[in-house]
Amino acid sequence: MSAWQDLVTASLIGTERTGVPGTGVPGLPGPASAVPASTGPESPGPDDPAALLLDRAALLTVARRGGRPAGPAEPPPAAEPDPAPAVSPEAGRRLARMLGGEHPDLLAEWLAAAVARDRRAPAHLLPALLDRARRVSPSDPGLRRLAAEAGGSRARWLAGLNPDWTFVTAHARAGQDAWRLGGKSQRRGYLAALRARDPGAARELVIQSWEAAAGPERVMFLSVMASAGLSPADEPLLEAALDERDAEVRGWAAHLLARLPGSALGQRMAQRALDCIRVESGARGARLVVIPPARSDAAMRRDGVTSGQGGRLQERDTRTHLLHEVLARTPLGTWTDRFGRTAEQVLALRSGPWAPVLFTGWSRAAMAQRDQEWMTALIDWALAGGPTGTLFGAETLRQLARRVDPARCARETASRGAEIPLPIRDAISVLRFRYDMLKELEL
Amino acid sequence: MSVPQARVSSVAERWERERVLALAPDAPSQRTAQSLASGRAWPATGAGAGALWGECRGSAAAPYRAVVDLSGPAYRCSCPSRKFPCKHVLALLLLWAEGVVPDDATGPPGWAAGWLTTRTGRPGRAPSGRSGEPAEPRDPKAAARRAEQREARVASGLAELDRWLCDQARQGLAASQQAGYGHWDDIAARMIDAQASGLAERLRALASVPHSGAGWDGRLLEEYALLHLLAVAYRRQDGLPPPLRDTVRSRIGFSLRQADVLAGILPNGQPVRDHWLVLARRDLEQDRIRARRTWLRGRTTGRDALLLSFAAAGQPLDDSLTVGTDTDADLVFYPGAVPLRAVVLAQHDASDDGRDGGPPHGGPVAGLLAGYAAALAADPWLDSWPAVLQVTPARAPAPAVCDADGDALPLHPGAGDCWPLFALSGGRPVTLAGEWTPRGLWPLTAWDEGGRAVAL
Repeated sequence: MSAWQDLVTASLIGTERTGVPGTGVPGLPGPASAVPASTGPESPGPDDPAALLLDRAALLTVARRGGRPAGPAEPPPAAEPDPAPAVSPEAGRRLARMLGGEHPDLLAEWLAAAVARDRRAPAHLLPALLDRARRVSPSDPGLRRLAAEAGGSRARWLAGLNPDWTFVTAHARAGQDAWRLGGKSQRRGYLAALRARDPGAARELVIQSWEAAAGPERVMFLSVMASAGLSPADEPLLEAALDERDAEVRGWAAHLLARLPGSALGQRMAQRALDCIRVESGARGARLVVIPPARSDAAMRRDGVTSGQGGRLQERDTRTHLLHEVLARTPLGTWTDRFGRTAEQVLALRSGPWAPVLFTGWSRAAMAQRDQEWMTALIDWALAGGPTGTLFGAETLRQLARRVDPARCARETASRGAEIPLPIRDAISVLRFRYDMLKELEL
Repeated sequence: MSVPQARVSSVAERWERERVLALAPDAPSQRTAQSLASGRAWPATGAGAGALWGECRGSAAAPYRAVVDLSGPAYRCSCPSRKFPCKHVLALLLLWAEGVVPDDATGPPGWAAGWLTTRTGRPGRAPSGRSGEPAEPRDPKAAARRAEQREARVASGLAELDRWLCDQARQGLAASQQAGYGHWDDIAARMIDAQASGLAERLRALASVPHSGAGWDGRLLEEYALLHLLAVAYRRQDGLPPPLRDTVRSRIGFSLRQADVLAGILPNGQPVRDHWLVLARRDLEQDRIRARRTWLRGRTTGRDALLLSFAAAGQPLDDSLTVGTDTDADLVFYPGAVPLRAVVLAQHDASDDGRDGGPPHGGPVAGLLAGYAAALAADPWLDSWPAVLQVTPARAPAPAVCDADGDALPLHPGAGDCWPLFALSGGRPVTLAGEWTPRGLWPLTAWDEGGRAVAL
């Protein structure tokens, strides 16, 4: 409306330097003709050009607001319907809370559980979810894939509208071409999707591609194998990788083999571990006698036991560190079989000052081997006031609480008010949160 | 349920986590408070006698000391944050909500006790939500005299405002971009002196217009023109129809006592009973005052209503109505040319309350625009109009919503990307409730495929 623009221009210049244009609105009462510039009277009245300008502007403002026509717009093509149902409203509300800052570290578990049940995240939360996945991707590449899968067709549709979210379609599109021609992340995405779908086929692909791959890519292969579907069938490949030149490849192979309780590496570790720990009966009942390894040798180093230089382990002496490393890689069945006791009974044996080392070592083994019985026993031990007083103990409890099956943690901690130490409080709150979270996803 | 539980008794009834988070001034504060509460940074906390206190280890050498008086609630923290309440206070409240702040029978430590004591010494504060409510008149004669004085003050204030507005138009608005906030704050302060608080708020908000991007000059002229119109209308109020006169006076800042509205002593003040659907909610933060606008629509009458509630910063807002639910209630409308603002007189049949009555009927864009035009004809200052539409969001050529007839409305630039709205629609029509304003549609609530309300 040019009459309005004329008024705006006149108002910018001011009525002392320019005239008041007419409104040019047909059918409206009042003066509509232009009035010449004037310095005007000192008090506002009907004759003041400034007041007249404001009068006319008010008239036009309301006329323009009331007479505003609808505009044109082009909605995007509709998203494909998604055959998978959305999660329950309760689960959706929890996802919203997690995206809002409550236990953000449990997001991957929520997504994985939803994907495993073939349920979709609520559509309106996808923008926040995709933004999160995009931001944390360097530290957690799996989250992008999980977010894309839990988002389903709606997430792919959104990715077409916002360039920030193209990673969603990058994973969805990954076909054979992505493997042959794609960049690092596309190859990783393809292999990870294949591993999740068909672990054996992914292993075959890795074996075929091994010779041609450089060290960093072999590390990628192994890290993808670690993310899903690890089985004894992977052992020959991994055992061979222990003799690689690249130390990082060797480390990953040893790490994965230690997660396979039946592997040859597991048996070698069991032998070392049993040399260190035995049960001795005494007048005050049975107790554990612990003698850590004297030194590491070439065979231990081949199996991934590092001598513990640098980093956070410096404060421990070498022998304690070696014991810890061996325990972490020893099949947990070793202890229950040899000692003829359940996990809970093994943990109940007195071990004196060694308890914190045993707790962290066994916890690492239980988490690597995904052994729920041991994890449950260990967390019960910790929640009952077990050896979590050290920095390592607290961190280990933190990790256990995020991996143990929360439905198995039957122990009610007594009301101890002020004395509940922080790591235990955190573990309890995480367990309760995860218990409710997984229950809601079943609805 | 076989999950471990920590049971910690507490003297004061613990709050829900949501209630704590609702106190946060913004979403980033909510996030940082939650990570602070799950961290290991709290060496010492305690609760007792209606108060909480705690020391939080931060980056500084000395820990931050946070205290909460639960009766207010009122807060204090030694951190330098200007947010209120700060993340340390929120985190402390979250810890308490989780039940892990131990009761401390020995009472607060010295640093907390000092502040708490000064608080208990203070006279009782007005309950939240009623601030600015005129007091009950005691002496009718004195009240009449006060009203007369106020009328005279407002009249001279408005005359001064109109002179100021004309000065702006005479000298030209071009200089406004260089003017500081003081330019508007000064005249706003004079409106406060003149007891025209409604005008003061409007004037203070103008300071940001010259920096609001292209078209700022037109928007500033619109606002000046409408203020001028208000001043003229007040001068001629004796000749106005009574409802329009009520509108003019309420926009200037003459507020009715809620008690008078509820008492039904005002013309057309009869209560309207209906099943009211809570359409949408919008919170506004202004000058340490939080305002909450709740839009309702009557299932039977089809009437729209606006409930306003206020709270000081850091105080909880009225949370009794949940978006997407129905409530059977009597509403009394404030008088005006377009009666929108209402107050709940009574709620009926509480068992029926809060039920999810499903989405409202979403209309076409043309209907909304016609309704707004008709309302503007009665109240030209109306700049926020309830919209319930059946529309598909679009991004081209600009963010907008588009109905089945191809009529589109722009989204308000201040509403951001509106990605949740797009994600919810998936390119299909959705029922959408929001506020239609001269700058565009502010989307507030959409209903998903299952008919559930989603706050945007």
